[in-house]
Formats: sequence, C-alpha cells, structure tokens
Amino acid sequence: MKNLILMTAVGALITSSALAQSANVPSNLEKLSGFKTTGVTDFTFIEQSGDYADGIKRTLERITLPDGFKIELYAVVPDARHMAVGPQGIVTIVGTRKDKVWSVTDRNKDRVADEVKDFAPSLTFSIPNGPCFSKDGFLYIAEQNRVLLFPAAEFFYESPDVAAFNLVAQGELIPAEQESFNHTARVCKLGPDGKIYISLGQPFNVAPPENLEVNTEWGIGGMIRMNTDGTGREVYTYGIRNSVGHDFHPATGDLWFTDNQVDGMGDDIPPGELNHQTAMGQHFGHPWYGGGDTRTNEYAGQEVPVDVIMPAVDTIAHAADLGMTFYTGKQFPAEYKNAIFSAQHGSWNRTTPVGARVMVTIIDDEGNATMKPFAEGWIDENGEYLGRPVDVAQLRDGSILVSDDLAGAIYRISYSK
Amino acid sequence: MLLGLGGLLLAGTALADEPAMGDPVAGKKIAGQCRTCHGIDGYAKIPIAPHIGGEPASYLRNQLTAFRDGTRTHEMMSVVAKMLTDEQIEDVAAWYAYPIAMATLTADPSGAPEACTACHGVDGIALIEEAPNLTGETNIYIDTQLKAFRLGKRTHEVMSAVAADMTDAEIRAAADWYADVKLEITVP
Repeated sequence: MKNLILMTAVGALITSSALAQSANVPSNLEKLSGFKTTGVTDFTFIEQSGDYADGIKRTLERITLPDGFKIELYAVVPDARHMAVGPQGIVTIVGTRKDKVWSVTDRNKDRVADEVKDFAPSLTFSIPNGPCFSKDGFLYIAEQNRVLLFPAAEFFYESPDVAAFNLVAQGELIPAEQESFNHTARVCKLGPDGKIYISLGQPFNVAPPENLEVNTEWGIGGMIRMNTDGTGREVYTYGIRNSVGHDFHPATGDLWFTDNQVDGMGDDIPPGELNHQTAMGQHFGHPWYGGGDTRTNEYAGQEVPVDVIMPAVDTIAHAADLGMTFYTGKQFPAEYKNAIFSAQHGSWNRTTPVGARVMVTIIDDEGNATMKPFAEGWIDENGEYLGRPVDVAQLRDGSILVSDDLAGAIYRISYSK
Repeated sequence: MLLGLGGLLLAGTALADEPAMGDPVAGKKIAGQCRTCHGIDGYAKIPIAPHIGGEPASYLRNQLTAFRDGTRTHEMMSVVAKMLTDEQIEDVAAWYAYPIAMATLTADPSGAPEACTACHGVDGIALIEEAPNLTGETNIYIDTQLKAFRLGKRTHEVMSAVAADMTDAEIRAAADWYADVKLEITVP
C-alpha cells in the first residue's frame, strides 16, 4: 500500500512537463528521470568506528554545554555541510562543498548512525551543499547552478538508482558567467507557504557596482523562492552578502536568516548578522552596508537608494554564522521552544580566532532576539580549530544534530534532567 | 609508485635549481593567517582552497602578486594579499614551497587529460616551474579555475588558450582526473 502511494506520487510528477523537459540533461539524470537503471551499482561506505572516530570523540570531551545537555558523535561524514532530516525519520541527507551527497541512517534507533553512504552515486554533483525535504518526502538538493528533485527519497535512497528530476536545470539558477566556488554553498528550505526558498550568495567581498543589476534580476546576493514544480520563481530577499542558513519561525512563519559580512575592515567590524524578514522584497543593506550599520569603504558616502532592514542580532565580527534551525522539539527545556540554534563556522582572517561553536537565540514576545553561546570548545589553546560547525538540524526525538566540515562529522546534542 | 617518485625528484630539482628568495622561517609566521584554509603545511582544510604545499615559490609569488594587483581576483585572497608587502610575499611563498608534494596515481595513466599533462604531469605534479601542481585538488576548484580562464575572469597566456576550447564535460573530466590522485605533503 505504501509503495502504491509513492508510485502514484511519482507518476504525477512525470506528467509535469516543467520537470520532464529541460535542456542540457546529463545522461544519468535522463535515465533516472525515466526510471531506468544507470548501471552504477557501487556505493562508497564510510567507516564509522576506529581511530578516526575515536579522535573526534576525544575532541567532544572538551565541548562545554549548559547543564543537562550532552554531545556525542552521531556519524563520521566527510565534508559534512547542510543537513536535511527525512520527514519519516528514516534518513538524514547531508550535503558537501565537493561532489558528494551523503545518506546517514540510524537503523537500530540507538541515536548513533549505523551506515553512511553516498546518495545517488550515478549523478555528477557540483557543490551539492544544500539538501531540504518537503513534509511529504520530496528531497531537493541545491547545487552551484542546479536544483534537483528526488521524489520519495526516503524510499528510493537505498538503491543507487533513485528517481531524480530537474527543479532548476543546470545553468538556470544563475547565469553561468556568475558561477564561483566561494559563496556558493546554497541552502534551501520549504516555507510555510509550500514554496522552496533558496539562498544565492554573491561571489565578491563587496559586490561591485557593475554586478548590481544582474544580482537584482536573478536574486544573487539574495534569496529566491519558487513553487515546488519549478514555476513562479521570484526574488524574495535583496541586499544579502552571503547567507548560508535560513529557517521559518514556527509560530509567525517569518523568514530568519544568517548573513556573512565584509572582510578586510579590521578584526572587530563589521558585525555578522542574524536577520528577520517580515515581507517579500525587503532589502538587507549589501553592498552599501558591510554588516550592521557599518558602511562599506567601496560605497562610503553614497546615498543608499533602498530602505534597509537592520539585523535582528549583530553577531561577533567574522565568526561566520552559517546554518540555523528553529527548535520545535519537546526534549529540551521550555526556554528553548521556538529558539534558533545556529552554527558559527569560525573566522579565517581575524588575529584571534572566534566562532566554531553552536549558538542559541531566544526571541521574546515582542520579537526581540538575544543570542548566546550554547556549545563551544572547538578552538584549542593554540588558536587551532579542532572542528568547525556548519549546520544544525532537529531529529524527531527532539535532539539536535550539528554538522562539522573540518572534522567530517555529525554530532548529536541531547538533554536529560 | 614510480610516478610518485618522479614527482618527488622533480620537486627536489626545482628547489635546488632555483632557491627561493624569501625566508621560509619568517614565511611560516605569516602562514598563520593562511592556515585556516590552506593548512600550515599547505594541505588545504576547506574545499574552496587549493593545496599549496610544495608548489614552486615563483608560482606562489606570482599568484599572490596578481591577487594584490587585482589581475586575479577572489573574494578572500584579494583581501589577504592586499595587506602583504613584497618581502612578506617572498617569505610566505618560500615557506609553502618548502614542503614536498607527492602524488600516488592508481588509475591507468592513459586516461589522463591530454591537454594538461605536458605541463601539469599525468599525476598532477607540475613538470614546469610556471604551472601549479593539481594533484588531489578538489575537482570543483579545478573546474572553477578552467571556467574562469575560459570566461576571461582569470588570464594566462597558455591557460586562456587551452581552456577556450574545452567543453563543460571536458573541464569536469580533467578536474575529476587530478582530484582523484592521492596527494601527500610532507615537511622535510
């Protein structure tokens, strides 16, 4: 019965011409779109125990958390970036900034993953950083310049040949000449309106004037949204430098997002940002502002031609606030209900490194947000990183997962009285 | 294994023929601001950064100077290079040229991309001073650079012409080839 429902859902998809017909379809994607086999049968499996895992566990002994919380190794996942937990709780899909997507399975539900293997190994991915699930089990993966759609991914992922379709075909997310490697870690999430929201970082430290028109048109240095059949694309957010994390408030439905700010202005300015958007089309200040109310040198003294929304939280400069999720679980104490858990990747160009920690942001009844450290200790006494958190996701039991692309791992943080 | 040794010998020869002008000890201190991305020994810590340990000092100097002068641009490197003096560039180039890069190729060498091997070697250890090693670089890094040459965002008298004729698929195949070769960087 379950299979029948799945196949019906997939059948409905195939008849959608927007998905089935697209230019420049790589051959294996074409085969998978037609439910054919590709001949690729080999998975890459990642060893989950041994010296490497033990080294990560030793690092975790240094990590400090509020009373009652503990952090443990959940999975060894090379280059682990943004995560999407399947709505049935069967699999967690993990993106990378390389060419692999990983599927992480905890088969015996002891809250430690038993199996990590590559997802859809017959497909050629380019920076598949951003996976996201819809409530009905459709997996989307936002890449450098493409968005793929995998119906019933929690059902199909056990096979190398997983049904796959274009949501945005190769070369249609942004113009090819705007492609870059840096600032190309795309994040996607499904909004309360059922549309998919995708962040598009702009590739410069400060966006140059000659790019502003193309950026505005395509939503580069912004956030776009579209229907889940690929139609109705529009720019939802402007004036972002490089956002690598967003989510929707569980009660208000508002979009909140982090944004990484300008480098080269000193150790302590400009601040990083956590932003709160309340309406489509709002502008968050880049490139006239370099973070918070700090003006960029490149646009100093120029009149700002747009109304700018200032951040909900100014974060410590250069800490690199990345992935975030609202907490809706029941496991953590009541103060964390609807709080934001977010990751700071850690600075790369600050005299003394900051970040490399998990933050929590409490939002009061008036909407005022206060951010504080939640889990820290990944910077050692020599200023060297032992890990660099990237994203936070919630499991169905109310614990949270934290990905780390330096250690190549996913941690689980749980609470008990 | 034979190819790996070949790379080792070549790297040694390059160092002996043209000693770096800079001071590697001073350069190692400057490398404190490079290591979060490139690693202190030049084995990169993040995918967007290339492995630079064991590259020819002249290549490293030329790239840092190009970032500083704006003839090559990158969101992070343009910011970093702007703050370096000529002497600091020589020193940090000397430091990162000091380690030895060694390749271990397991694939059939006949699959190597023909357009690249004369300068970058079959295993990605460069055969000429002017070319960087490509061994073990993230495929997307190589892919991005080839597309930048093709678009004219990055220019080089040889590479601009080579990349101009490559298709997306050929670029990805060349990138995948070198990305799959195992790289080891050792500090003598």
